[in-house]
Amino acid sequence: MTLLGLQWASPMMFLLLPLVFLPWFTHNQDKTVAWSQFVPVDSLSNMIGFALKLLASLVLAGLILSLAGPYYPEQTVERVGNGAEVVVLVDRSRSMDDPFSTRDKALAVNRTVGKGDSKRRIAQKYLLEFVDKRPDDRFGFVLFSDKALDLLPLSYNKDSIRATIDASALGKGLSETNIAQALIKAGEMYGKEAYHGSRTVLLVSDGGQEFTDEDKQTIAALYKRENLTLYWIYMRSTAGLSLDEEGTDNSWGNTPEKRLHKFFQSLGVPYRVFEIESVKSFSEAIDTIDKQQDQTLIVNEVMPREIKTAPFFWVAMITMLLLMMAQFYTAWGVRKAHE
Amino acid sequence: MKFSYQSRITASALFMLLVTLLIMAALWFPRTDRTIKVMDLLFVIDITQSMDVKDVDQNGEEISRLTWATEYTKQTLQQLPCGSHVGLAAFTEARSLVLINPVEVCSSYNDLTQMLSKINGSMAWALSSEVSKAAFTAVEQAKLMEPVPDVVFITDGHEAPPLSDTLFPKFKGKLGEVSGVFVGIGGEKLLPIPKHDIDGTDLGVWEQNDVMHEDVYASLRNESVETRAAKPRNEHLSSQKKSHLEQLANMLDFDFVSSPSKPNTVISALEHKVKMRDQVVSYDWAPWFTGIALLFLVLLYFPVRFFRD
Repeated sequence: MTLLGLQWASPMMFLLLPLVFLPWFTHNQDKTVAWSQFVPVDSLSNMIGFALKLLASLVLAGLILSLAGPYYPEQTVERVGNGAEVVVLVDRSRSMDDPFSTRDKALAVNRTVGKGDSKRRIAQKYLLEFVDKRPDDRFGFVLFSDKALDLLPLSYNKDSIRATIDASALGKGLSETNIAQALIKAGEMYGKEAYHGSRTVLLVSDGGQEFTDEDKQTIAALYKRENLTLYWIYMRSTAGLSLDEEGTDNSWGNTPEKRLHKFFQSLGVPYRVFEIESVKSFSEAIDTIDKQQDQTLIVNEVMPREIKTAPFFWVAMITMLLLMMAQFYTAWGVRKAHE
Repeated sequence: MKFSYQSRITASALFMLLVTLLIMAALWFPRTDRTIKVMDLLFVIDITQSMDVKDVDQNGEEISRLTWATEYTKQTLQQLPCGSHVGLAAFTEARSLVLINPVEVCSSYNDLTQMLSKINGSMAWALSSEVSKAAFTAVEQAKLMEPVPDVVFITDGHEAPPLSDTLFPKFKGKLGEVSGVFVGIGGEKLLPIPKHDIDGTDLGVWEQNDVMHEDVYASLRNESVETRAAKPRNEHLSSQKKSHLEQLANMLDFDFVSSPSKPNTVISALEHKVKMRDQVVSYDWAPWFTGIALLFLVLLYFPVRFFRD
């Protein structure tokens, strides 16, 4: 809750506040007075008595309020950094469970990667590396199978994006994938955000897909409107022709990945494909993106909460010092009087 | 016992000195390192269609089991001490799909709750509900994480297709490394399950003829037609399957908690069951000093005369 412009961690402590009135009910150290009318009315004494009670109340209030845990909540501060906003889409299809296949099977790739090191794992490894390289970037994550879910909205928290990427490498792949849905979801994630700087969508998949005309229109409109840059890290499953090569026979030209590539090119937004056939080329692709996406970016930095008990302690302490000295002075005076 | 006015006034002055010292301590006493016990947990939430049954009573309102599950998870996250790591997974078909590996619960609280709010039936990638196998995959996947979390599996225990009494899936992995708690949810009464297709289109409720009522091995057993016909055909309805969850909990060396009302119920069940990790935190003693100072002051100013005679 808010009070005095501060947040309070344990507002229940406010229930103790009535205790501040205690000093006003205490009788002043009763001493036996034969008849109170004997005591002369002394306005200075009354004032001092009043002041002492006030001070005592102040100490009690200070202590109770500090127990209620005052703090300034964490605040978001904008600063200018370098980087980009990146929404990561990782294909969870079954084929991502396979290792790379290359034109040159005999080459070391499969051997060095080792059995069971699937494309999914490699994607995970290099995506993590990418995240670590880019301290200012804001990352989001879309999980997609046959449906897409904006699992992690754009976040500066590197632990969260790392853990989400780690999770995406666990377990078997899912049967179906719907890239169009995922791309739309990613675009929509930006739609909800203010413009901070370079906005990118990073699609990691090992296959293409034929989109419906409706999806194509939605994607084209969305990506232009939101000013997105699209990167496609295409982890080639089949040894074969590259996407830009014009095949001599039509069978290659009509494969889903080739048509997806053509569609991306026709989008009218900055687009680049990285055809990955080995671990090394993945790492190069990541480096290229890293270099390209190094523009000015407005970064929201979260300042952690600030605990504000100290001022209350200071007030309580100084007041208490005064009270204590007054009391010692009284004690001294009383002693003198008795001598 | 009577003290002279003089000694009382000196005593109270000394008392005040003590209070002043306590306040100074609250202000300047350094924070010290202290180890607390924390847990690392993977919350697995059942998102199958039986979880859409609205039979959980919350403040007089009937909410769906899934709504309860995500809300309960959120409340439990709030109760966990900083330093605990929490991951999230959703279960449908025969597996638990990990959405996020365990992350520190305080610094990533926002992302975790955002993600929790996204967990619902619409993300299901298949329509069956094989609780046992999903629990096994949760355990197996937990072992691959760093640090290895224990599992909180929130489900109504409804197996679809149904399991055979004898030929049910058995856990083949190694026990002991990962433990956890099954949190059962759902009422006692068998209720109809809202039905929708994989795209989320509302199709009313599951009817008796929509689902399998016997396990897949039923036809292999030499049971007479009469015996089979006499068995209840209730698999299109759902309630909390407590005995099944208890059995699963036994198999996996988990604990089983049925419809807990407070987050602490699960946390204390976990404390008995799972491994705890030491986490060093800097501990602030100020509240102790302040509390004692306050107590002394209250005693000092306590209006005793009101309570005499």
